[in-house]
Amino acid sequence: MSSTPRKRLAPEALIAAVVVILLAVLVPLVVYSGAGSSLFPPTAVTTQARDTRGLYDIVFGIAVAIFVAVEGLIIWSVIRYRRKAGDDELPPQTHGNTLIEIVWTLIPTVIVLYLFAISWNTLNTVDAVSSNPEIRVHAVAQQFAWKFEYLDANGKVVATQSEPSAAKGGGMAVPVGKSVLVTLDSPDVIHAFYVPKFLFKRDVVPGQTNRFQFTVDAGEATDGHPNIFGGQCAELCGTGHRTMLFNVIAMSPTDYDAWLKALIIQNNATPPPPPSGAPETTVTAQNTAFDKSSIDVPAGHPFVIDFKNMDIQPHDIDIRQSDKTTLIQDQPITDAGKESHYTYNPLQPGTYVFICSIHPTLMSGTLTVH
Amino acid sequence: MATHALAPATTAYRPGLYEWLTTTDHKKIGIMYVINSFLFFLIGGFFALGVRAELAAPGLQIFTNEHVYNEFFSIHATVMIFLFIIPMLAGLGNYAVPLMIGAPDMAFPRVNALSFWMLPLAGMLLLAGFLTQGGAAAAGWTSYPPLSEVGPTKSPGPGQDLWIVALTLIGTSSILGGINFLVTIFKMRAPGMTLFRMPIMVWTMLVTSVLVVMATPVLTSALVMLFIDRNYGGHFFDPTHGGIVVLYQNLFWFYSHPAVYVMVLPAMGVISEVLPVFSRKPLFGYKAFIFATAGIGALGFSVWAHHMFTTGSVFLPFFSLMTFLIAVPTGVKMFNWVATIFRGKLSFSTPFIFAIGFLTMFLIGGINGAFSAAVPVDFALHDTYFVVAHLHYVLFGGSVFGVFAGIYYWFPKMSGRMLDETLGKVHFVLMFVGFNLTFFPMHMLGLQGMPRRIADYASNAGWNDWNLLASIGGFIIGTSILPFIWNVFVSLRNGKIAGDDPWEGNTLEWATSSPPPPYNFDRLPEIRSERPVFDARHGRLTPHDEMGPA
Repeated sequence: MSSTPRKRLAPEALIAAVVVILLAVLVPLVVYSGAGSSLFPPTAVTTQARDTRGLYDIVFGIAVAIFVAVEGLIIWSVIRYRRKAGDDELPPQTHGNTLIEIVWTLIPTVIVLYLFAISWNTLNTVDAVSSNPEIRVHAVAQQFAWKFEYLDANGKVVATQSEPSAAKGGGMAVPVGKSVLVTLDSPDVIHAFYVPKFLFKRDVVPGQTNRFQFTVDAGEATDGHPNIFGGQCAELCGTGHRTMLFNVIAMSPTDYDAWLKALIIQNNATPPPPPSGAPETTVTAQNTAFDKSSIDVPAGHPFVIDFKNMDIQPHDIDIRQSDKTTLIQDQPITDAGKESHYTYNPLQPGTYVFICSIHPTLMSGTLTVH
Repeated sequence: MATHALAPATTAYRPGLYEWLTTTDHKKIGIMYVINSFLFFLIGGFFALGVRAELAAPGLQIFTNEHVYNEFFSIHATVMIFLFIIPMLAGLGNYAVPLMIGAPDMAFPRVNALSFWMLPLAGMLLLAGFLTQGGAAAAGWTSYPPLSEVGPTKSPGPGQDLWIVALTLIGTSSILGGINFLVTIFKMRAPGMTLFRMPIMVWTMLVTSVLVVMATPVLTSALVMLFIDRNYGGHFFDPTHGGIVVLYQNLFWFYSHPAVYVMVLPAMGVISEVLPVFSRKPLFGYKAFIFATAGIGALGFSVWAHHMFTTGSVFLPFFSLMTFLIAVPTGVKMFNWVATIFRGKLSFSTPFIFAIGFLTMFLIGGINGAFSAAVPVDFALHDTYFVVAHLHYVLFGGSVFGVFAGIYYWFPKMSGRMLDETLGKVHFVLMFVGFNLTFFPMHMLGLQGMPRRIADYASNAGWNDWNLLASIGGFIIGTSILPFIWNVFVSLRNGKIAGDDPWEGNTLEWATSSPPPPYNFDRLPEIRSERPVFDARHGRLTPHDEMGPA
């Protein structure tokens, strides 16, 4: 076999060099300019998240280096070694090179062992759970809503927050700078607790109590200025999967204590009695279904629904237009196994829909006002 | 040298459709695999475009019933994985392996036909779910219980049962096919075709078949348990009666992670044939490549739980270490390929361009997979669109580009005619651009917290632009298939006559006519290396040092 080594610099070699240099300049430029920020996770807000972010940055740096080197080599080879028209001579028939092959097996081995070592190291801090955390929260994920129970040091429930959204006065409140142990349970299917700014998620698996711990950075909230972080179920859990949003509200420790006190008082308060003389209807929920498909009430009068939730999931009874989407009257969520007296404002005569906002496709009925 | 006559299996085909319906010829079965898989590629693509159309903008535009959206992405993935990529590669292997080892057919031709015919049946059963009460399976292609169990808010309808039955059928087809490949490769090689002279494509099919035969029964057991839970009151995965939810995931991924290699190794085999031919060089490090393939196959059984890092039930350091380690043989292969084109003389025919597409895109799929091997980073990225980006860079950027490299490479052998080069390049450019537009932005979406499998997102989440871009890219991919279909259509009629060996190939399929006769070979060149046809062409041996009559 003839093997003519190329000596002169072909024009395509120049092109290739330009491409490789461009790549080497452009990639870091994009990465560290504004456009590149979307290649990184959001700013970390917990101690654990900052560790994960540090690890991410190292992995990312190595990834970019390998990408540029190998992709550059491919592009360079493709441009440099095009076969010219009429060139029938075979290139050198290289079958291999033991030394090079050993080297390029060892180098990746060293890199991945290094990555494993630092990621294991980070894991030991990110995944650590202490025996005496300062705050304990029990989060229950269920189709399709979150519930947060605040526990004392013995694991006894001191307050319950069934409304996961900060916009509706709920959410999972935590004091900044304090370690929070979260235990996770699900009565139905698998869910996942995911807060992007925590750079963390943990599955909520029926039949097993998962736990994790985090500490929100002390600077994230000051007295009177809480900070809200969005969270969302990350494991497909059914038709309402995307609606399983929740908020984590970071508060100063003083604000948190006041908030928890208020929640305890609210939990223990007896609900105001329904206006006397208002017509009452009883609706029971079981197996993700209402026991009634239609309700009749008089026009122009407030009315009451005694709601018994005998299901394993949370429900409510909202009133919507007959399109099933336009909200008319909203009611708070009733936990599994609980009862509520929902009082509704007077309605104009017409046909409406009473509906569970958590399971709208399965639980609705006709509300006739006349 | 030693010469043997090959006994013709059959000497002539029967006429028309009857032949296709009853054939046991591996070439016809292989072609039917390819056509059937391509039809399911179109069906799976339709579901993908439904998903991308919905996600193009916030708000529910198409799937006012979100359950149908869940059906769409569940069936999209199931079809693409089980009815497109796996059988497509099995089909290419079915066509190529007996030819490449100088065999007249597969070892068990009738079993081969059975393996094939189970696939369209399974596909129809799966899709029949859409006609049932409650629609098709909607619990994701992974169908994790308890969501896939019976219950008003779980999976009440028969669609989920049809999914189970379809996958069990496909699994059975795979096992039969795997056994067939193993026996064929071990017992049917032509004289001189030692194991270390086999084409890499054959080696990858060998390792793939071992994975299939060892892993698929485990999936089947999980499916049977799920079926019993759903239909006969079993409690395998029901924690309220002592069942274990995560057990299903362990069984499922014990198959489905090796299945990733089932979907990638044969595509690696394809480009390991294509790159040397169009570089006019041997594959760099042939034996190292084989050891790397075997290494991936072996390590592939020890990484399954990296899909489950967030379940809280995984021994994290072990699976993290093994996942990092499996990058090493994969990296070795990447270097082998690059060294193969390095200092070659490259001709940019369509198969080669798709193989380069594989190299450049699979590289990204390998690198972004390393992120999730680092467990804390996986805690951030798991079940977000980052993972969707990763898996598509592996299975589309890798496998699908490899599949098209193979189709463009062997189409002249299968049909006797060349595909049009210009249309092929149009196909590549559209698909390459569309692919990157679709899937690169998904990295950003995942990093910014967009979970998988949601039909809608808040308009102020900051995900609008990337989603719109991804949807535009998706429709460009859809468009890219049109020049390909047109190309096949016109080339079958008017394409240039291919001749035996249009690419100056290395392996034995190029030593027979295009298309080959029913019994494959009239005569074989002498096999002294992994490139017998190259040796014959370039006079290492006399070009037609062929076998005489018996």
